[in-house]
Amino acid sequence: MQTKNATGVGTAINRVEGYLKVTGQATYASEFQIENKVYGQGINSTIAKGEITSIDTSEAEKLKGVLKIITYKNAEKLKGFDEERPVVETDSIAPVLQSNKVHYYGEYVGFVVAETFEQAQYAASLVKFTYKADPTAHFNFGTKKSKAYKPSEESDHKRGDVKKGFSEADETIEATYNTPIEHQHPMELHATIASWKDGKVLAYASQQIVEDAVIAISGTFLIPKKDIRVVANYVGGGFGSKLNVERHLIMAVMASKIIGRPVQATVTRTQMFTNTGMRQANIQTVKLGAKKSGRLTALTHEILSHTSTTQEFQEPCGSMSKMMYKVANVNISERLIPMNLQQPFSMRAPGEATGSFALESAMDELAYKLGMDPIEFRIKNDTQDDLHEEKPFSSRLLVECLNIGAKKFGWDKRKEKPRSNKKGNWLIGYGVSAAARAAPYKETHAKLKLELKDKTVTATLQMDATDIGTGSYTILAQTVSEYLDIPVEQVVVQLGDSDFPVTPGSGGSWGAASYCNGAQSACENALKTLKKNRNIPDDEDVAIAELLKKNQITSYESEGLAIPDSAFEKHSVFSFGANFTEVWVDKDTGMYKIKRMVHAGSAGKILNPKTAYGQVIGGLTMGAGMVIAEQTRVEPNFGNFITRSFSDYHVPVNLDIGNIDVVFLPEEDKVANKMGIKGIGELGITSVAASIANAIFNATGKRMRDLPITPEKLVMADVEVGVEE
Amino acid sequence: MLKVNNSKQSLTLDSRTSLLDALREYLSLTGTKKGCDHGQCGACTVIMDGKRQLSCLTLAATCEGAEVTTVEGLATKGKMHPMQAAFVKHDGFQCGYCTPGQICSSVALLDEAKNGEASYLTEDVRKISKKLKLSEEEIRERLSGNICRCGAYNNIVQAFKEVHSGDDEMPTWEFATEAQMKSAKTN
Amino acid sequence: MRPFTYTGTTSKDEALNAFTKTSHYLSGGTNLLDLMKEHVEQPDQLIYVKNLRYNTISANKDGSFTLGAMLSNAATANHKDIRTHYPLLSMAMLSAATAQIRNMATNGGNLLQRTRCPYFFETSMPCNKREPGSGCGALKGMNAQHAIFGYSDKCIATHPSDMCVALAAIGAKVEVQQPDGNSRTIDFTDFHRLPGDHPEKDTNLEPGELITHIHLPKPVLSNHYAYIKIRERSSYAFALVSVAAGFQIENGKISNIGLAMGGVAHKPWKLTEAEEFLLGKKPTEANFKKAADLAMKDAKPFEDNAYKVPMGKNAIVRALMQAKEIGK
Repeated sequence: MQTKNATGVGTAINRVEGYLKVTGQATYASEFQIENKVYGQGINSTIAKGEITSIDTSEAEKLKGVLKIITYKNAEKLKGFDEERPVVETDSIAPVLQSNKVHYYGEYVGFVVAETFEQAQYAASLVKFTYKADPTAHFNFGTKKSKAYKPSEESDHKRGDVKKGFSEADETIEATYNTPIEHQHPMELHATIASWKDGKVLAYASQQIVEDAVIAISGTFLIPKKDIRVVANYVGGGFGSKLNVERHLIMAVMASKIIGRPVQATVTRTQMFTNTGMRQANIQTVKLGAKKSGRLTALTHEILSHTSTTQEFQEPCGSMSKMMYKVANVNISERLIPMNLQQPFSMRAPGEATGSFALESAMDELAYKLGMDPIEFRIKNDTQDDLHEEKPFSSRLLVECLNIGAKKFGWDKRKEKPRSNKKGNWLIGYGVSAAARAAPYKETHAKLKLELKDKTVTATLQMDATDIGTGSYTILAQTVSEYLDIPVEQVVVQLGDSDFPVTPGSGGSWGAASYCNGAQSACENALKTLKKNRNIPDDEDVAIAELLKKNQITSYESEGLAIPDSAFEKHSVFSFGANFTEVWVDKDTGMYKIKRMVHAGSAGKILNPKTAYGQVIGGLTMGAGMVIAEQTRVEPNFGNFITRSFSDYHVPVNLDIGNIDVVFLPEEDKVANKMGIKGIGELGITSVAASIANAIFNATGKRMRDLPITPEKLVMADVEVGVEE
Repeated sequence: MLKVNNSKQSLTLDSRTSLLDALREYLSLTGTKKGCDHGQCGACTVIMDGKRQLSCLTLAATCEGAEVTTVEGLATKGKMHPMQAAFVKHDGFQCGYCTPGQICSSVALLDEAKNGEASYLTEDVRKISKKLKLSEEEIRERLSGNICRCGAYNNIVQAFKEVHSGDDEMPTWEFATEAQMKSAKTN
Repeated sequence: MRPFTYTGTTSKDEALNAFTKTSHYLSGGTNLLDLMKEHVEQPDQLIYVKNLRYNTISANKDGSFTLGAMLSNAATANHKDIRTHYPLLSMAMLSAATAQIRNMATNGGNLLQRTRCPYFFETSMPCNKREPGSGCGALKGMNAQHAIFGYSDKCIATHPSDMCVALAAIGAKVEVQQPDGNSRTIDFTDFHRLPGDHPEKDTNLEPGELITHIHLPKPVLSNHYAYIKIRERSSYAFALVSVAAGFQIENGKISNIGLAMGGVAHKPWKLTEAEEFLLGKKPTEANFKKAADLAMKDAKPFEDNAYKVPMGKNAIVRALMQAKEIGK
């Protein structure tokens, strides 16, 4: 595909919605000017398990402006779960305030509606709940391991004979890696302005997948989908947290139905810990065996995670271990313990982000033990076939990523011996890791409207897709620009409205590929039909304005549909990458600096290198956050999150990050889809934590297997046996 | 009486109302964002009497007589402030939610550098001059009060640098060449 | 937030007269408003005192300096006299929070910052400081951030301020207006309290007293200074451990010294024994290490904060070494 114009696919244009964002005019969920709206505020439980025995709303009700206090006693009846612990999906129902049972500390137990935000906030603090706590509450992860269960058949993957594999190995390592509870924490607090009028629901809401929000509302209130409209024109970050409908939205809809006015509900940052999803903690044990030559002979990866007591989610931490390396003997098992904690769900690269920390740290440990360069070790075990799916990869340029990245980074300057690169009080280290992330692609619909006025065509593209910061508006405008051969200035992209054609929404790294192929199809259909109508051959170049003129029309509408084909199904489709990090660790204080990072990635066609670069540095930054300080801690006696604000949960700040170079490999994966696009947003975070941890080992000789790697841990950690101080 | 973006606004508010909620809920100025409401993220940063401050921890009542500039007040007649233009050019944002705060913070920082204000990274606070040319690390430290969860920090630094010193050299992306691809095929 | 009456004031008398038992003075608001939003503080009245004219820095005839309590932290840290004569104070203040918060927070308010112990902030948890008699959740809970010196079985919280660590090292005094119109001056070491049986009281201020000035003694610690702050991220985080060090060298020996730590106790922790040890000694790494050992010898860490002992020692040595270096 040749780029024909300056704003087509592949060009580094500025974001088309940039002006709106930098001038404060992009409208996020709680910013629509809605007449007569009131404010809702959720109330959270203060026990981990048990029952509400009484509720006193009298003080709160006396307050000026308070309109309604909803608890299980007077809530609308909602659809409940049909089975025990159903699997969470992005369109799952979200029943709330349906009984006096409490399942975790922080669960919603009430919702206050008042005329103003201030009134609602204060009233919520005055509603008094009395509880009968159940002492069997379980919230300390790592204990009661015997309660772990196997969630599904896919939880185990076995190939070959690991016992035999390990017996053939010259060197083995076995280590346990711990990752804590993490929270997505998009900057925009989850918010909605929801109204129920004449049986119809309209919700401005921060959602990643508009269609699934409609399905969830429909399923929860048992009302037809056609009576629900969800609008999410701008979403202030998602990272998985806004994939599904969260319960403040359900409570706001319910409240609007009861009081007959639109209800605005913005969760607090503290509620972003307890009520809008999280990544659960994992305990992962990896065992690797290899020949002296560096060839892997066996791999086992055991994963223990937790889910809630009401729904089930298994973070697939074994996903990368299954397909990454050429190893014949593999055992992977994923187990779950139900706990009295919030339901975990997807956070950026669920499975890969955490699983890769274990796998890629273990690879580094074994390379060190073998006395082999960790890049060489990985290259030795490269495979062009997915041994788990038993399919060839559509394309896999991991070796190229490692080699090109290493050159860019200056890997040859790395000192092999740990703790040998010193400068003043600093210990300097280099680390590497490899990354793979599935590149899915899903059915997508689009509508294209063409208007001809004064010889100029304006193309309006409508999809229910969302732009959560990923650049959807821009790459879609570029796609239309490319295929209609008009500049982006003549393209209007309208997204995030359930009145528009259905897409899979933003999540799972399927957005760019699905959206753009859908838009491309709408363009292609328009051109085809307009040409066919005038008996113009398909391959003849006719400007779109000319084509409309020839058809003697000034407006035209077409639809697009993109859908995976059989070639996609026959292959295993992944994006690949390699991460390189240089860290400087203070030898005495345990503080460290991530001086610089290099990421080399092959993620199919790069639609816009500027926004793709943003995705990669964003992923690297969040990956750095996993190492620097991100963790949510559970209070061991009460079961609440003791980490409850942005001053406890430390996401990276500007000074935490060093320079980042990104090398894109030129790749168009036409097996993946027509436009050759693969996902990049989740590839960016995958294995970043391992590359930093490996660099810290190279710098200090300390093997840090528990995330995050804080100064307090580094100060207390011992240098590995055999490393010279 | 509030003076926001050069326009006087008369409001009768609850004594509890923060400047942030006054802007967003009563003046329809939703450009200023609520990211935590507790002074821990910087999304609500506005410029008050020339200084960057957090509107979530400011009671509207205390703003009597103050001059408040929000992100909506930076552009003049539809023309972006150079900092806004630089943020667009260098892609100093993704989701856009922390962006107004980042931009207000950056605009105020331009003046702080001109005035020779120190930071924790200043080598020796006893010796500091006006018209500072801030190093990349200094920019990062001084913009660390604005959290960007999308992780656009490097682009934000680049945008600031361009307006601050005209210098926007920083690592960014490149495409591997065919020759590189060829030689990287094997070890 | 609980409803309250907002009272703007233009004079100290107005402010003092408006005060009732359930009032709070409001200045920068960066901590108080946060706590009010959390329903930890619930005053009936806020008396706004930031506009009172205690907003200058003055040089006194004896060579000492006086800071106005309502001056912002940013203006103070950047003031030429402070940068020149009390660089340690500037650095400590600049290490705190963010540019935005330093622009808002005032000197008086900084002294009255309350602990960031999460049990204090979460109203559903026990905390003797917030609710006397309810217990200390951290004692047998999560105490990684907590005190290793001077705590009681009622409270093991730490004081969060950086500025106060420097003021403790420097040996400042705090001047307050009493409700009856008189004023009094409190030594910095007596300003904050240890928790004892009354952790609800952070300071020795009496109800209604208003901080108006902070007096800095004649500057003798400006030659060699360092403020080391160890934290979980590189900026915008409270200290795990911090050290303020300032000294003067005469004839190759330390002739004046101020040394204090943050993040280790309910108040800024003055390292008197280490100061006394170093006075008159050569500024060598060996002596610094001995001083650090002395400073930390009585530390009694909990399960989660044992790291503060080695980290604290290293931080003391580092601060002293860095101070020695910068004076050159």
